[in-house]
Amino acid sequence: MAKSYPEVPFAAIVPCPTVENDKMVTGNWRSVRPVVDMEACTSCKLCWLLCPDASVVYDEAEGISFNLKYCKGCGICSSVCPVDAIRDVPELDFID
Amino acid sequence: MTTKKRSTGLTAVCDAWQLVDIDVTASFPIRPYTAVMAEVAKRIANGQMKCEMVHAEGEHGQFSIAHGASMAGARATTGSSGVGLTYAAEVYSPIAGGRCPIQAVVGDRTLDPPGDFGSEHTDCLTMRDNGWIFGWAQDAQEALDNSLMYFRIGEDPDIMLPQIVAMDGYFVTHITQDYEVPDQDLVDRFLPPFKPKFRLDVNNPVIMGPQITPEMGPPLEWDRNVVMQRAKGKIVEVTEEFGRLFGRHYAPFVEEYMTEGAEMVFLLQGAHAVTCKSAVKYLREAGYPVGMLRLRWLRPFPDEALQAIASKFKVIGVIDTNTSYGAAGGGGVLLVETRAAISETPDKPIVQGFTSGLGGEVISHDEFFRMAEMMRKTLEAGQLVQSSTWVNFNDYV
Amino acid sequence: MPVQYEKIKSVKKAPEEEYYLPGHRTCAGCGPAISYRLVAKAAGRNTIFVGPTGCMYVANTSYACGPWKVPWTHAQITNAGAVASGIEVAFKQLIKKGKIKDEFPNIIVMAGDGGSIDIGLQAASSLFYRGHDALFIMYDNESYANTGIQTSPMTPYGGATTFTPPGPVIPEGKKFFPKDPMLIFAGGGHPAVKYAATASIAYPVDLMNKVRKGLAFEGPAFLHVHCPCPKGWTYPSDRTVSVAKLAVQTGMWFLYELEDGVRTWSRTPSKLRPVEDYLLGQGRFTHLEPEHVAKLQAWVNERAQVLGLTATLPPVH
Repeated sequence: MAKSYPEVPFAAIVPCPTVENDKMVTGNWRSVRPVVDMEACTSCKLCWLLCPDASVVYDEAEGISFNLKYCKGCGICSSVCPVDAIRDVPELDFID
Repeated sequence: MTTKKRSTGLTAVCDAWQLVDIDVTASFPIRPYTAVMAEVAKRIANGQMKCEMVHAEGEHGQFSIAHGASMAGARATTGSSGVGLTYAAEVYSPIAGGRCPIQAVVGDRTLDPPGDFGSEHTDCLTMRDNGWIFGWAQDAQEALDNSLMYFRIGEDPDIMLPQIVAMDGYFVTHITQDYEVPDQDLVDRFLPPFKPKFRLDVNNPVIMGPQITPEMGPPLEWDRNVVMQRAKGKIVEVTEEFGRLFGRHYAPFVEEYMTEGAEMVFLLQGAHAVTCKSAVKYLREAGYPVGMLRLRWLRPFPDEALQAIASKFKVIGVIDTNTSYGAAGGGGVLLVETRAAISETPDKPIVQGFTSGLGGEVISHDEFFRMAEMMRKTLEAGQLVQSSTWVNFNDYV
Repeated sequence: MPVQYEKIKSVKKAPEEEYYLPGHRTCAGCGPAISYRLVAKAAGRNTIFVGPTGCMYVANTSYACGPWKVPWTHAQITNAGAVASGIEVAFKQLIKKGKIKDEFPNIIVMAGDGGSIDIGLQAASSLFYRGHDALFIMYDNESYANTGIQTSPMTPYGGATTFTPPGPVIPEGKKFFPKDPMLIFAGGGHPAVKYAATASIAYPVDLMNKVRKGLAFEGPAFLHVHCPCPKGWTYPSDRTVSVAKLAVQTGMWFLYELEDGVRTWSRTPSKLRPVEDYLLGQGRFTHLEPEHVAKLQAWVNERAQVLGLTATLPPVH
């Protein structure tokens, strides 16, 4: 029985993603998860801007949240926060 | 209106590039191909060609620039000779695998060491495994015609492969010859504007050439194999169309010369065929049952076309104007390819190798006569007498 | 006449749109990934990236995909400058000849230190020499990182890598001091380069504005961006930004622009912190003896003086 191979596009040219590149989901890399205290947060957006994975989400109304599908738990957001509003919590503490 | 012209093989290619309105070319000097770029530069400066010449930092840069231009959707060309070609080697597979149909002109030249400006096919032959399509022109007319045909074949949406218009250094690049420049209208009918399947375009954004897993490799390479084989059919189609439109009818793969009743044939490529034809006439008069086969394509190698005619002959003397040290059979690349192509052909001829014309030397009539005499010995023996003969070095007559 | 571009006023006012999306296999805390995100954000939609082989190729495109919302092409590690040149010329010609209706795009090379100043040096130099309208950015993580951390001409003196491991015969590990790309590309030897700047991911607004400024200049521009690498430099991933900041505070990284040969400082610490503050906390430097640290301090001090930074310099012990 001949082995079957994946479909590879012409000349290895693939379309650009528009919202996320879900061919490389990285949320399962985490050993710690960022948690934000919105009371302490001043919405300076430094965490949002410096996330290598664009996984800190800022919304005018909702404030700071995290894209857990991709967040690698690198800890940069909690590290750069000038008011210590973000903690890194062990991933195992969460049920999901 | 066709224009009769008297010039060199390189000028003829420049004429072709002008007719097809290339957008970008990348230049760098190395003997003997340099004059084509100087000619393009002149025509850009006087407004005859609407093309940008990028003065590359070297041959590796040239091919890379042409690659980038092609990815952006431009009809791009470049060229080189000798060690320039081997220097650029990194990018040959990326260009072919990226399916960018750029065209390179090669004035072939002996590889170092040391410096030798003379013609030899080895330089261009080192590119043969990378997925480009190419062949040798025997004169200026064929150089022009090949350039036109190669654009048409290479840019065909079913093909999309880069091409090399190769020609013998000095013999075709520099010797002044008569040729015809076809009519612009005819060329426009023959070759549509370049329309790539994908280009770098912010309105249709794509990612070109991402890292793949090993298991994605084989399907990509199978595609490249399929298209290289598909090119054979396209070559036949386009060569016939060219003949109908321009009135010059080329055998798609193998030109036969005086093969009627020939028991032995020379097999070679490029300009030495011109001398060979003359020698064959003399040899026939002297009673040698000899003819000539001239290979017009090296890649894709025309297995089927050779197999169809091989058994007409008893001996094929393959002439390699190249070196492939340590190759099977002790000769050059054409010897290996020819033997491989007809190895399973019933009633196949004996195939012996001759290495001649190295370093830029002419293959003289006398040398063709001696090769014919050696082939006659093989004919008489009914078997291989010597697998590979480096003419003047280990002749057996 | 100063060049016109839309300046980003602050972190809060940075453009919302993402062009370097989530979903890439870069290390957690990857400095170059931060730089890519910021560059893409600053450059916007009308952008084409050229990505020579390196971390920002392999890690970003594993496998058969990528995180860019804008067109992106691979180039060899040797030839990003050449491929970008070809793209630039093609667009100019095709637009001029009316073969396409596109607006001329931002053409940005994102090359690693190797792909810019070492194996890619020839092609980069030629892009600058020929004056192509493109932005060449070096994301400098001070090693050939993708192949598992080997020395490059940007690895600092004393920086351990798998090719410069310290040992009794070579106690400092890395013996050579790094090249200076700003001097090489923008020090006057490439007359077509009117604008070049160093940048750091610790100063994101500054970085983004330098991208926009470089793009606004007619012709080639060069950006040298400091991108700490948790894997290569051996520090915990959350410290990427603080390490980058320490580099600027100690003079192991200088932040300035070169416009027509005139230097403008982006950050001028009045007093440089001792290099130890930077070296401490990076595993690649733990083998250094006081004499090696002294050499580094001397080098920083000399560079500060040569570049004309008026600051109090730490003593060399």
